[in-house]
Amino acid sequence: MTLELPKSPDDLPVSSPKWVGKDVKRVEDPLLLTGRAEFVDNVVLPGMLHCAILRSPYAHARIVSVDTSAAEALPGVVATVTGADAERWARPSFTAPEGWGTHCLAVDKARFVGEPVAALAATSRYLAEDALELIEVEYEPLPVVSDPMASIASDSPLLFEDKGTNVMYQRVFTWGDVDEAFEAADRVISDSFRWHRVGANPLETFGVVSEWDPVAEAITCRGSFQSPGYFALGRSATFRLPPNKVRLISQPHGGSFGGKGGGRGTDITIMLSRKAGGRPVKWTEDRMEYLVGGGSQAWDRFYEASLAVKNDGTVTGLKVKLIDDLGATAEGFGATGATKPMASFTGCYAIPVAQYDLTLVATNKLPASPYRGMGPPPHNFVLEQLMDIAARELGIDPGEIRRRNYIPPDRFPYTIPSGNEYDSGEYEAALDTVLEMGDYARLREEQAAARAEGRHVGIGLVSTIEPGVFDWNAYGVIGQKSIGVPEGVTISLDVRGKIVARVGFALEGQGQYTLAAQLLADYFGVELDDVQVIALDTLSAPPHFGPGGSRLGVALTGAVLGASHRLRDKLVRVASHLMEAKQEDVELFDGVLRVKGVAGAEMKLWQVVGAMLMRTDLLPPDVDPNPQETYVWTAPGRTQPDEQGRAKSYLTAANACHLVVVEVDPDTGQVDILKYFIADDCGTRLNPATVEGMVQGGVAQGVGAALLEEYVYDDEGQLLTSTFMDYLLPTIHEVPMTEKRPLVTPSPFTPLGAKGAGESAIHTTPAAIMCAINDALSPLGVRATEVPATPNRLWKLIRDASDG
Amino acid sequence: MKPPQFEYFDPTTIDEAVSLLREREGEAKVLAGGQSLVPLLNMRLARPEALVDLRRIEGLDYIREENGALAIGAMTTQRTVERSDVVRERLPLLQAATRLIAHPQIRNRGTVGGSLAHADPAAEYPALALALDAEVLAVGPNGERTIKASELFLGYLATALEPAEVLTEVRFPKPPADSGWSVMEVARRHGDFALAGVVTALSLNGGSISDARIALFGVASAPLRAREAEGLLAGEKPGEALFAEAGRHAAAGIEEPLSDIHASAEFRRHLAATLVKRALAEAAERAGAR
Amino acid sequence: MTQRRGVRLTVNGTPYEALVEPRLTLVDLLRGELGLVGTHVGCEHGVCGACTVLMEGRAVRSCIMLAVQADGASLMTVEGLSPEGQLHPIQEAFREAHGLQCGFCTPGFLMSIYELLQNERDPDDEAIKDALGGNICRCTGYQSILESVRLAVAKVKGPPT
Repeated sequence: MTLELPKSPDDLPVSSPKWVGKDVKRVEDPLLLTGRAEFVDNVVLPGMLHCAILRSPYAHARIVSVDTSAAEALPGVVATVTGADAERWARPSFTAPEGWGTHCLAVDKARFVGEPVAALAATSRYLAEDALELIEVEYEPLPVVSDPMASIASDSPLLFEDKGTNVMYQRVFTWGDVDEAFEAADRVISDSFRWHRVGANPLETFGVVSEWDPVAEAITCRGSFQSPGYFALGRSATFRLPPNKVRLISQPHGGSFGGKGGGRGTDITIMLSRKAGGRPVKWTEDRMEYLVGGGSQAWDRFYEASLAVKNDGTVTGLKVKLIDDLGATAEGFGATGATKPMASFTGCYAIPVAQYDLTLVATNKLPASPYRGMGPPPHNFVLEQLMDIAARELGIDPGEIRRRNYIPPDRFPYTIPSGNEYDSGEYEAALDTVLEMGDYARLREEQAAARAEGRHVGIGLVSTIEPGVFDWNAYGVIGQKSIGVPEGVTISLDVRGKIVARVGFALEGQGQYTLAAQLLADYFGVELDDVQVIALDTLSAPPHFGPGGSRLGVALTGAVLGASHRLRDKLVRVASHLMEAKQEDVELFDGVLRVKGVAGAEMKLWQVVGAMLMRTDLLPPDVDPNPQETYVWTAPGRTQPDEQGRAKSYLTAANACHLVVVEVDPDTGQVDILKYFIADDCGTRLNPATVEGMVQGGVAQGVGAALLEEYVYDDEGQLLTSTFMDYLLPTIHEVPMTEKRPLVTPSPFTPLGAKGAGESAIHTTPAAIMCAINDALSPLGVRATEVPATPNRLWKLIRDASDG
Repeated sequence: MKPPQFEYFDPTTIDEAVSLLREREGEAKVLAGGQSLVPLLNMRLARPEALVDLRRIEGLDYIREENGALAIGAMTTQRTVERSDVVRERLPLLQAATRLIAHPQIRNRGTVGGSLAHADPAAEYPALALALDAEVLAVGPNGERTIKASELFLGYLATALEPAEVLTEVRFPKPPADSGWSVMEVARRHGDFALAGVVTALSLNGGSISDARIALFGVASAPLRAREAEGLLAGEKPGEALFAEAGRHAAAGIEEPLSDIHASAEFRRHLAATLVKRALAEAAERAGAR
Repeated sequence: MTQRRGVRLTVNGTPYEALVEPRLTLVDLLRGELGLVGTHVGCEHGVCGACTVLMEGRAVRSCIMLAVQADGASLMTVEGLSPEGQLHPIQEAFREAHGLQCGFCTPGFLMSIYELLQNERDPDDEAIKDALGGNICRCTGYQSILESVRLAVAKVKGPPT
């Protein structure tokens, strides 16, 4: 049964919330600060072996033979596995789109550099890496295609010969009379854009320790699993085991951002443990493995896009054509990143019609994975560049053109052409906030003065939507058919009135254990320290998804409040019986069960629980003596995609407006971020300090995407950025310290009015920086359309223009 | 990413180190701070049969002023150089260049001798040594010899050091009076290896340039002196047009600019010209030009 | 037969001895042999700084040092910051100013900051950034880390006298 949950913190059963909505110090931190969190690489089990994986040096090659005998002869090597074992024991991975998957170890051919070909388990990682060098593989190199345009061509080498094509998916979604809108437009603004591969790169790579139980034929894996329940289902399918034979224990993990990966490594260690008679096998992905073969890469995109615009700046239509290079297989679910933009396709703007021409292509590169934001960041970059181009052509200020097109506050809930429904928003208020913070008029004056000195200063002003609370239906068009993403919590009270909350996900960095503790402390009127949050393994936990899709804060709030409601109802039944009052006269408030209107008639939590557990003779006959309840929350009102892929998918629509000032040095191509202002509206802020951290972290990743980070492959499919010397993560020197101001437009659809808040800045920052760069370059008559805007690219753009 | 097996020696004298190196005929490598070598070991890109660690050899960690020249022991860490009062007073250019090397954690381990002997083309110290006409001392099977910086750096990670020679000291000569200096680089991130960098020193006499040194790094397989540009400056009055011209000459003098994913050859050439121009202006200002 | 070397070192005031292959990295000695798992491995090529520890009071990257290079040395790891469980002022500051999210890079940051505050009583923002330029955090975007260090400086300095 779906419960009616509090719409606002004021509805909690407490005089005034002490924890919810406050900057609360995180309960997770003492463990992390003292280095005592049990990250998976800390796990040591008796008899544990260490896995090393041999990877294909070729982007495309037939595997003629694999000889592991010399490796097996090395003392300390206990087990080896090859593609033959994978074929015998495991199924190819499930993929979206379906049917573009392979086994965890290459069976007949390797399709990308870094694809696992063989693996072994030895008594130490050092020894395992020595032994890898003794495995002999005979490859027959095949022609390579690393460029998606070439891959589409009819003469391209094929990744999957039986498909007869490298095109994994092609479809045009049309929402409304787009042709009419473009014909009727005063102007059509068009351009092409290129977004190069970037990716998650959590500081901790993936790791796993797997045990195969040869008697029960069951699996236990400890690992840094972002979504343990779904990951367990994947293993169950891969090894043809019933789900109750797969137990995953999720360790705290050092970040994920969607890009933890780990499917192949987990399956390989499971097979190695099986071969080693059930001994535990650990695999800690090293950084080079992560970069070349992990969940590290996302969004490799070619865009052509157009806006239909009226002379007054009204945007009347949007067309986006995307070719997304997903790499060798669809195993990483990178395709979801190409469909998610449909959840916020037209951004903050009341654009009535739109079209999405979507092509997903296979090439001999690492399969693409999700990454924070899950696809819209490049889309937003494209849309916001078009808005700026339109503004420039029409002589309208970039803030003003956005203002004229915002969805006005009185039109929510608002359904966008691509079908999703936005819950609420005050976009103009966010714009005004950021303009005031930055003193926009003065910034423009300063820019004019700088230009007069020959300096290239630019201002970027961008508004975006952060779709929050994902549902599978957002990816329905590429084969994710289900609806509903469960998040369950089990809460219990003990005889001293202390609380335990049991969840299905591990620590990952968002402060969700703190959130659960805040909610429970306020609901039951206890101190934060009185709440303990623990993670259960997948066979013990209620249905769960864990962090992902800008969802967990809202979902966890729903789950905790639902379970709290249920437990409260139980306590009320017991307390009313004990106090000989009517049930409807007893309420939980400020941490006591009290009879309404009767001073002094109350029981403390521990008294009620004590009776439940230790004086069952006093209980009402219809109440079991278990002070524990579970609730599983999922977003209400989600719909199946219609024939044009339209669905109510993401439940919330947060909004951000960023104002950034940059200076471009035309002689070195370097971009200096001078000022950065953010107005951010994610509804009710449950722990504002952690929300700020989410925003700032997204800014850093956005700076990386806009200026630094890029996976570069050569024509032979060799990765040229396989270390942190070449894949450049931003440091404290590159990330601007931003000025932030919150706005609060609560969601009418969520418990307490909170919205998904984990991704807003990654949606916004790359677009804002690129807009600022292009504003800086506008006097030179050039425009950067390629991301990241590296020094070399910007310099070349400027030089080519001055040469011409 | 675990190193392959190797033999390890930590001799207590230079002679012992030299004989260990000689016995292994080029299959052994010298280990100083290890900040370049150990990553290569972890990636199994370097596979020496043996490492000869200099850490227990006493007397290689010093900064001495000798008649205005600075003599620095090979095992002196970059961090020690960075914090040295003598360096700050006598050769501030060295301190400034040191602060451009990676990050404090690297400089805490990285050594002066290691950086010079590794000869990364994008490293600061080799270019500095080249610009200032420094010399290094090396001890080998035939005893000690002096190698001029101009003869030390032969190419990509290649030096004139013999396989069994150990670099023990670098000497920076006393800079001329009234000289100004500058070190500048363009890197993708703060602390990264330079896409292009320049070390300059200018001396003025009566308002004219009496001595000019320009060394480039990060642009070619080895650091290089821009002799032609230096010649162009000699005797001239400092000025923006002159420095731009020197920059163009310096850039034109790069025979085979490096090219990689971060910077094309032509971009590097352009950066070199830009940096030379800017660095000369800064050096001239420091030298007191108006 | 693989060569092994005896290594003696002191970590957080406790003496240890181990017999190691010369190729064993310092971080693998600390984590794997000595059980000091608070020091983390992020890249194993000296870029990310997660493995930063103090050796003779200086912050160093333990992934690009061999264990044998630390023979005879005195080290400090994150476990040494709060030996009795009481958070060190730097750790307190991180908690108060939300200087961490996933916490994986945090021990490395703490050690770099510890060295900074040993050397400088009142570092300005530029000095803080210089000290932390070699530590990568993928979560926080560094702003709260900078604020944490400022707070730690205030805590360590104490009230103005």
